Amino acid sequence: MGTILSTLADGVAQTIGITLAAFAVAAVLGLPLAVLRRSGHWLVRLPAVVVVEVLRAVPPIVWLFLIYFSLGSTDNLQLTTFQAAVIGLGLIYAAHLSEAYRAGLDAVPAGQWEATRALALPRTQAYVRVILPQALIVVIPPMATFAIALLKDSAIASVIGATDITFQAVQLTQQDLNGLGNFTVAGLLYIALGIPFAVVARGADRVLSRRLVGA
Amino acid sequence: MTPESKPLLTLDGVCVAYRHQEVVHDVSLDVAAGEVVALIGPSGAGKSSLLRAINFLEPPSKGRILLEGVEVGGSRRTLDALRRDVGMVFQSFNLFPHLTALQNVMLAPEHTLGLPREQARERAMRQLTHVGLAERADAKPGKCSGGQQQRIAIARALAMEPKVMLFDEPTSALDPELGAEVLATMRTLAGEGMTMVVVTHEMHFAEDVADRVVFMADGHVVEENSAGKLMRDPQHPRTQRFLNAVRGR
Ligand SMILES: Nc1ncnc2c1ncn2[C@@H]1O[C@H](COP(=O)(O)OP(=O)(O)OP(=O)(O)O)[C@@H](O)[C@H]1O
Ligand SMILES: [Mg+2]
Repeated sequence: MGTILSTLADGVAQTIGITLAAFAVAAVLGLPLAVLRRSGHWLVRLPAVVVVEVLRAVPPIVWLFLIYFSLGSTDNLQLTTFQAAVIGLGLIYAAHLSEAYRAGLDAVPAGQWEATRALALPRTQAYVRVILPQALIVVIPPMATFAIALLKDSAIASVIGATDITFQAVQLTQQDLNGLGNFTVAGLLYIALGIPFAVVARGADRVLSRRLVGA
Repeated sequence: MTPESKPLLTLDGVCVAYRHQEVVHDVSLDVAAGEVVALIGPSGAGKSSLLRAINFLEPPSKGRILLEGVEVGGSRRTLDALRRDVGMVFQSFNLFPHLTALQNVMLAPEHTLGLPREQARERAMRQLTHVGLAERADAKPGKCSGGQQQRIAIARALAMEPKVMLFDEPTSALDPELGAEVLATMRTLAGEGMTMVVVTHEMHFAEDVADRVVFMADGHVVEENSAGKLMRDPQHPRTQRFLNAVRGR
């Protein structure tokens, strides 16, 4: 158990790195996707809808192969396995998060928008000062769910050779043939890594809802 | 209003439609500077729709809105200019729940008008004081009574230093007692010469505070007159029936 753990521990940093970096990409790119999808104009809406649907329709593993073995291996663009995984998972989860953002934006009552329009607040200010802070509260629980899903999906980065927990477990099993032990420990590591996300989400949720109603 | 004085606000043949269903038909109305106009009528008459057409929350399907003789609409710029000059108070307050009273009131001066933050804060404090809520400046709306919330909303609209204030049933979400403090604030405003268009079910307010009362039914202006005349001596049978019904309660 000790040796398994110490070998797999080598993959922990990679797993956390891919998860956090991909989540950051997703959190940033998901927002414009959500805003565009709520546009009143179909010409603005359509490209965002297509992007989101295509990103979600193709299996993540196919995206990673596509990015790493084709786009990422051209002469002028050489991606590391880490970069390819972050880009691929980041884009896929941007699509997922955009749906969560959209639900959050929809949850803000129409009266809030009307008040910003009646005050002639510029659209960006209306979003930043009024709408997003209220939407955020609704979005945090699903965001945490997606973060944990992303942590688990990061395991597929091992198939393009990213040296994460799963990759280490596969390597080790090829040497010692102890699949049961190695992958049990790997599973436990994923569970353990997921706990902070849940805790952070719960805490943020509490703080934000207090800020919303409290004096 | 003297014949040569230009009206502050003009509605000229305004229609409002939802999808293709027209609910306000061809309403024309002049509002002079300093005038208080009460808009009364049965539920579904189109009072809110007409009021919301004035600042284009519901853009008129036909007709024109003019502020100080300048037509609004078309460009985003004239629309923003209009909204800066026309304050609106909603039935359900629509305060920003995550911001304090003071932050609610200073938001538009700072971010719409572009005032420096300190100046916006001063202006907001002045308006909160004006509605008697200086001591609630740091409270979130959720911690304030309904009457206080509506007065904060009034202060928020006033902080833009508008030329006209629109009110859509500002007291109907409130207990009579809390409604009374909001009506008192509005009375003060009217006394200070603020131009106001008020949709209301408060017949006393219409009678005592308004200069003019407009009675609407089924999307039409049925009758309008000075408050005294319309409330005491309505000419149209539809108006008579409405007033009898609301007073009978
Ligand atoms: N957003 C909307 N979409 C479709 N129809 C609407 C909408 N808002 C109002 N209507 C309809 O337009 C008509 C006029 O409604 P409006 O709210 O303007 O009346 P009102 O005089 O303000 O009534 P109340 O006293 O109940 O507030 C009603 O028949 C109503 O059902
Ligand atoms: Mg109404």
